[in-house]
Amino acid sequence: MTSAHSETQFAALVDALAADPDRREQLTDLLREDHPFYDQRGTATTIQMRGWVLLALGRAGVSDAALIFVLEELDTGVDAYLVAAAARALRSYPHPTAALAPFAMRALANIRYRDDPVSFESYGEYADLSTDTSPVQELLATLGWLGPRARAVLPELETLRAQRGGLSRKRLIDVDRALKAIRGADQVDEFSADTCCTLPSGLRNTFSWALSSRRGCEPIESTVFQDHNGELITFKEFFTGHPSIVVFFYTRCDNPLKCSLTVTKLARIQKLLEARGLTDQIHTAAITYDPAFDLPERIRGYGQHRGVCMDAHHRMLRATAGIETLRRHFKLGVNFIESLVNRHRVEVYILDSDGRIAASFERIHWDEQQVVDRTIEVLNEKSDEAAPEVSVQPADLTARRKTALPMIGTLASLGVAFFPKCPICWAAYLSVFGIASINQIPYSPWLRPVLVAVMLINLASVWLRGRLTGRMSGFYLVSAGALVIVVSKMRPSWESAAVWGVALTLAGSLLSALKSPKGRSPLTELMGKMWRKQFSDTPL
Amino acid sequence: MTTKRKAAKSVKKAAKSSKSAKVSTQAAMAIATSPQKTVKQRVAAMAEVPLAVCESDKDLQKMLKVLSNKEEPIEVRLAALQSLQAASFSVVAFESCRSDYIATLRKVATDPDPELRQRVLGILAREKDRFVQKKLLEGLQNPEKALVPPEKALQLLSYDVHAEAYSAARAIVSNPPNATAKREALRLLAADATAAPMFEKVLRDKGELAENRQISASALQALKPERLQTLAREMLLDKSEHDDIQATSLTALTQFGDEEAVRKDEELREGVDRLSAEASTASTKVKQSARRFLSKYHQ
Repeated sequence: MTSAHSETQFAALVDALAADPDRREQLTDLLREDHPFYDQRGTATTIQMRGWVLLALGRAGVSDAALIFVLEELDTGVDAYLVAAAARALRSYPHPTAALAPFAMRALANIRYRDDPVSFESYGEYADLSTDTSPVQELLATLGWLGPRARAVLPELETLRAQRGGLSRKRLIDVDRALKAIRGADQVDEFSADTCCTLPSGLRNTFSWALSSRRGCEPIESTVFQDHNGELITFKEFFTGHPSIVVFFYTRCDNPLKCSLTVTKLARIQKLLEARGLTDQIHTAAITYDPAFDLPERIRGYGQHRGVCMDAHHRMLRATAGIETLRRHFKLGVNFIESLVNRHRVEVYILDSDGRIAASFERIHWDEQQVVDRTIEVLNEKSDEAAPEVSVQPADLTARRKTALPMIGTLASLGVAFFPKCPICWAAYLSVFGIASINQIPYSPWLRPVLVAVMLINLASVWLRGRLTGRMSGFYLVSAGALVIVVSKMRPSWESAAVWGVALTLAGSLLSALKSPKGRSPLTELMGKMWRKQFSDTPL
Repeated sequence: MTTKRKAAKSVKKAAKSSKSAKVSTQAAMAIATSPQKTVKQRVAAMAEVPLAVCESDKDLQKMLKVLSNKEEPIEVRLAALQSLQAASFSVVAFESCRSDYIATLRKVATDPDPELRQRVLGILAREKDRFVQKKLLEGLQNPEKALVPPEKALQLLSYDVHAEAYSAARAIVSNPPNATAKREALRLLAADATAAPMFEKVLRDKGELAENRQISASALQALKPERLQTLAREMLLDKSEHDDIQATSLTALTQFGDEEAVRKDEELREGVDRLSAEASTASTKVKQSARRFLSKYHQ
């Protein structure tokens, strides 16, 4: 079945799929924006069709695979019918968890001033009776269904209940019912289970492709773009030679939680890159879905109003020959009626330095920091290939990885500083080591150049990190330490200064490793991360 | 102490005046919704109640009942609509009423009274209400089902770029039921990125109404500005061209022209010089536009 089929046929198909346990999974496929069913349908029709699928999912039971579509609607939806249908569908999910509550609460905050009546009686029906349901009513019922699992949003809901005009008087009974269910003590044990705050592992809004499995960009490398200044540039020219962050948008999007927010977040990404001194090494681009209408002047204004920095490395783009080739290559979650978008998802892509898609963040709001960190990992891939002795570390890599290299470097400095000059010295050392029963190690003069090499690698690593973070104090300390060690080894009378050299190296290495890119302490950074994990838009 | 007494007095006074205002609003509400009162009295009372409409569910239901009751005098129903519409500007306070209000408006959207119907359709269309968009499109495709004239339907649909009205508008441009409908269809299509060739055709057509050609010039500026520059130059140098179109062309070149290209274009500047000098034949509008052009490009 395709777009050639009528809405009635579509509705009948959806009902049939929902009724057949063997084919229920096909309902999820019908929620893909790029499904042929939505091609050349208007926005209103698309809303009705998707809403009907969500309601069918609600009857059949939302699976793990379908959950992301339901949450997407709660996260970014502004249409009363779709939000209400998604809220109702969520209640059929068999594994309610606390992680679902913020989605329902966010949707409530987004939709409460557009609490239009909706009817779920039959396909295409519009409510003309206020006794029909509404998005707020459905969302409150969903919070009630979550019960004590929604305790994290209880203060927010209580505030909404208390403030004048927070929620409609008509909904007060529903709010009170939801509050009572959330406060209820009967399910507290279940709430406190370990799995309370995690979404199912099958639910993914982030996708990554290993270096070897990425598709080449040959099909689109000759695609010509016009940028915000009217300058022409091909995909290959702009997107190869460095990693890039690409978002999609269109200026006529009337959902403030989608394109407008996406481009605003791109501006924030640019600031994060700037703070790490990566603006020249990582490019950013916002590509319009609607190139026929979004002319250079229009996209420039759109970007400027949302704080996007535009220059040779960071551009707003429109494909001069239309969106079709890009749509195929990126498998964009979008569909059209003529040239106008009828529905799209939120999507951001990370391209590697060959212009291939390395990662994507889809549907649910993404975290800017996550995108930047993932892009730095992609940048690292290239650095690893070209110069294996240095590496750019993303901010959220584990502390183990962050401190391993400085520690090795410091140990190497220690080794160089106290390396025995002759077999007699070695014998003296071993007599001390004998206490620890390690006196079996033979004298190895080749070890000294190895230790010097490791010390130099540490020096290079600290320099690179200093360049990325813009703070070179660690590098200066390590350099001074290395210098002191070398001089102490050359002039026997200064031998005791080697201890200071080691101390300086250790201090510089630790300073470089522990100082966060934003200049915050590691503890602050860790707290920030925990907070974001609890309440961020993308708690996955 | 005296200050405290004064403050207490003023609080009491304010409470009293608020109480009396409440009483008078309640009285106005009683008059507005009472079928026993005259139409004039009820319309006058309606003007005083907007802020009180959402104070109680009972009052809201009474007002909505007046609005949807076909037996009520139309003047009173229109006044009720106006009152509710005024109340809806206080978004937060009106939140309690919104659901009932929208549901009632959808019911009244098919009311037999054309004025009330049109006003209700207008309110819902500004809310980008899909129900109303569907009704308006049905009316454009099947005139027997039309709730408003085609030009009005197009105007209301143009509030939402996603209202899927382009194909209906294109059909009206090629086969217009009247001149106004064609004009509104052209206005609506000005946001359709694929409509540039059609606008070029209308702009070039000297048999077309000047207003439609001007709308087309404006649409081309939005969709294909470089094409408008070429056409504007052509039309400006065409001595048989209509005065209004020449004035529009001059404005397009003055405001949006490529300064360097226009400065180098001797033929164009001579043409504008000629228009400016033709005191007897050129209209004031053309002369004014020509002066603006010359003052910009002769520097």
